[in-house]
Amino acid sequence: MGKPWKIVLAGEGGQGVQSVAGILADAANDQGREALYIPNFGVEQRGGVSVAYLQIGDEPVGAPKFQTADIIIALSDRAVTRTTRYTGPDTVFVYDSGIENLKDEDLPTGVKKILAIPALDAAKRELHPRVFNVIIMGAVIKATGVVPEEKAKEALEKKLGYKFEQKPELRDMNFKAIERGAELVAEAL
Amino acid sequence: MTEKPVQEEKRVFMTGNEVCAWAAAAAQAEIMYGYPITPQNEIMHYWTRLAPKYNRDFLQTEDELSAGFTTAGGIMAGKRAFTATSGPGNILMQEPFSMAEAMRLPTVAIIQQRGGPSTATVIYSQQEVTMTSLGGNGEGLRIVYSTATHQELFDYTIKAFNTAWKYRFPTFVLADGYQAKMRESLKMYDPEAKGIKMVSTEPYVGKEGVPGVDRDPGHFRNTYNVEEELYEVLEQYIEDYDKMAPEVAEYEEIGSQDADVVVISHGVVSRAAKGAVQELQKQGYKVGYFRPITIRPLPVNEIRDIANSAKKVMVVESANGQLDRLIKEKVYGCNAEMIPFFKPGVGITTEEVESRLKELF
Repeated sequence: MGKPWKIVLAGEGGQGVQSVAGILADAANDQGREALYIPNFGVEQRGGVSVAYLQIGDEPVGAPKFQTADIIIALSDRAVTRTTRYTGPDTVFVYDSGIENLKDEDLPTGVKKILAIPALDAAKRELHPRVFNVIIMGAVIKATGVVPEEKAKEALEKKLGYKFEQKPELRDMNFKAIERGAELVAEAL
Repeated sequence: MTEKPVQEEKRVFMTGNEVCAWAAAAAQAEIMYGYPITPQNEIMHYWTRLAPKYNRDFLQTEDELSAGFTTAGGIMAGKRAFTATSGPGNILMQEPFSMAEAMRLPTVAIIQQRGGPSTATVIYSQQEVTMTSLGGNGEGLRIVYSTATHQELFDYTIKAFNTAWKYRFPTFVLADGYQAKMRESLKMYDPEAKGIKMVSTEPYVGKEGVPGVDRDPGHFRNTYNVEEELYEVLEQYIEDYDKMAPEVAEYEEIGSQDADVVVISHGVVSRAAKGAVQELQKQGYKVGYFRPITIRPLPVNEIRDIANSAKKVMVVESANGQLDRLIKEKVYGCNAEMIPFFKPGVGITTEEVESRLKELF
């Protein structure tokens, strides 16, 4: 298996990138894989770009941060500019096609692939804005295969089970969001 | 008798701060004294969750000076006590830690390094090496374990209590904001189930009997009237420390004996150094990895051997040469050329170490 997947998730504070990274890390660990998740937790967290660094593999992970990501998911214009520094020739760069004010020249060059997915739009129109980050989680899973969809659902259940108990329709919506995220990536690929 | 915090060995996935709280609980720590500061806060938070369950205590003081002195006081009362801090809090604690050195109090402190000088960042650095090892107006009669993984945070937090109480010198677990906040897997265990016996504690004051008649009187002083009196005490302390040093010094190494270039690093940066060295060894480079686990006292003989056998020694750290100074003092007169790779207050990646190393061949 060799090197771990190196994943960068970035968005505005409140978009839920840290929760997604945390749940994916939990899911990978529950599966017996080695994961290392580190949030940035400086002042940016309070009203700036929030970045999560996640590595998942089969051997204990080395340094917590890295220079080049295998996949980057950027969810705002500032997140795009902030994360281009983590790109390399093998990086898959995913961004939300609904980001306003994003110019073509903001996007990184010389990467393996750039994917635009309408996650924000799908969340608003088909599900609920609050599951936007879960759609992103589905997208990451599809793009990397770091954990099976079922494991991600179990991890979600663990984290939000108490809410699902009160409102079972939330469970359906979250699970649908994972599936929708996976579809969006499959379509873009 | 309340149940043990960790019964059977189990794999867990948590932040480093949570690991420290569990480790202290598993090590039968009785009380934590603390004052909040990022990135250490959650050690206190988790401890306050664990403490009521396992019949332990917690005191939040009005500042770090007080947290340090109450830790010293708890120890004088015979409690397995500890504290945790970072950055400016570590500065304030130097006065109580100095007193702990003076009175041979086995304080245990977990330091989660943040950026400096001053408030700087709440994130990460390796800039508290000098202060944690040599801080205070004394001789640095301390033991400092620099951890690199969550497993080590657990292992060495437990060990810190035993080293402190066995040798009666202030003992530190030196980690950083990355280790504090990141999550990775480790195995938690009950020390006794692994054959680790916790060194027993005893009160310094309030003992039974009449001092000087039934038992030796306790002289726990941090004040002396004449120079010679102080000198005599310090001579004994330094002799004790030097005798202890080879017994507690620990290190990790990979192929450092027969390498042309050896990387020396400590703490979380050694994860990047190790990754880089392993990658380059695969590519056929004669490169080695050496990491002192105790940055005070250092494993001196091993470091000198490397500095005599290797052509170049590169010291990598997230500080402007704080580890480097400690190393250089020990390798005085050795042959290797010393190469600096310093990034004060910022993380260092495997890729960076690898490319810097390649330039040296």
